[in-house]
Amino acid sequence: MTDTNPRRLTIARAMAEAVQQEMQQDPRVFVMGEDIGALGGVFGNTRGLLEEFGSERIRDTPISETAFIGAGVGAAQDGMRPIVELMFVDFFGVCFDAIYNNMAKNNYFSGGQVKVPMVIMTSTGGGYSDGGQHSQCLYGTFAHLPGMKVVAPSNAYDAKGLMTAAIRDDSPVIFMYHKGLQGMGWLGTEPGATVHTPEESYEVEIGKAKVVREGTDVTIVGLAMGVHNGLKAADQLAARGISAEVVDLRSLVPLDRATVINSVKKTGRLIVVDEDYQSYGVSGEIITSVVEHDYSIMRAAPKRVAYPDVPIPFARPMEQFCLPNAEKIVAAYDAM
Amino acid sequence: MDIRISDDILDDDAEAVITVWFVNSGEHIIKNALMVEIMAAKVQYEMVAPASGVLNIVSGVDAVVRKGDVIGSIS
Repeated sequence: MTDTNPRRLTIARAMAEAVQQEMQQDPRVFVMGEDIGALGGVFGNTRGLLEEFGSERIRDTPISETAFIGAGVGAAQDGMRPIVELMFVDFFGVCFDAIYNNMAKNNYFSGGQVKVPMVIMTSTGGGYSDGGQHSQCLYGTFAHLPGMKVVAPSNAYDAKGLMTAAIRDDSPVIFMYHKGLQGMGWLGTEPGATVHTPEESYEVEIGKAKVVREGTDVTIVGLAMGVHNGLKAADQLAARGISAEVVDLRSLVPLDRATVINSVKKTGRLIVVDEDYQSYGVSGEIITSVVEHDYSIMRAAPKRVAYPDVPIPFARPMEQFCLPNAEKIVAAYDAM
Repeated sequence: MDIRISDDILDDDAEAVITVWFVNSGEHIIKNALMVEIMAAKVQYEMVAPASGVLNIVSGVDAVVRKGDVIGSIS
């Protein structure tokens, strides 16, 4: 028992609080997206904002990502600091020209004369049977393309700090939040994501990974939901006397390769957990970052526990069969 | 003191699910601090602590609850 109330927040509330505090400080910050106003966001991350800031700054949009993400880019270039929600990352197809040919590149095209200080917040992940166009992660798709920062928090503390840093950043930032970590019951909530979150404003530096559990025998690297699966696997391995270190990437761009390399130097073994598709993605990039640096630190071939290269099934048993989990991570260790 | 699902959040026959306890059993909670969230038909409702004291949770996350149900206590 403690005397002070632990201030546990869900990621949804932590995101809303970061946005609220930045909006109180900076009149250039505003939010646009589908159902982000009266409903408070289908994933709860803009709750309470319409009541405090009104419909000029908390703008519900028509269902046209093409239009409102394009409008966000224009507003950012014109001196505003928009936060635009792409409700499901899966919908990126209809707005990628605005995201990738404009938002990410206009700073380069203008020789640095135009800044695009825009945040796109977008939901990722499945596990609750919402089909192949509502359940993807697409981390690698966004992280692959230069010109944008990409973050993906695993808990409320990091979500608040990363959102604050993203809003203040002069570069465009893709803020990818996993639906299963939001604290929304119907999405299959992971309780480990709901952690103590200070009320005062703070930043978590974009581009810094974190060792969330120290160990000596194997390094498990993950992001978002993968961190929680990694921690559960570490518990199972610990029961057998195996000491796993768990690294939470937190940011994909910039990628904190040094923290991963330093961990593998200690453990000699690497497992990457990624809920995005396996091929051409995050898991390959992490492994390459280590072996490119110094392959002699590896005591076993690295392993990855990622989503198989198939469209995500709707049927629950089939989707669950495909998703990474703690048991698959333990099996990967046993196969090393 | 018992913690009950408030009369003003749910319809008489509505079922809700507990989605988050913001404080664990055995921890101290302060009156009016955010305590628990419940969800009905994809809408979330929050309840604050009715008193200060040590929380005892009876209905955990994912429990199905109705208006008036006792979901925990504060002592």
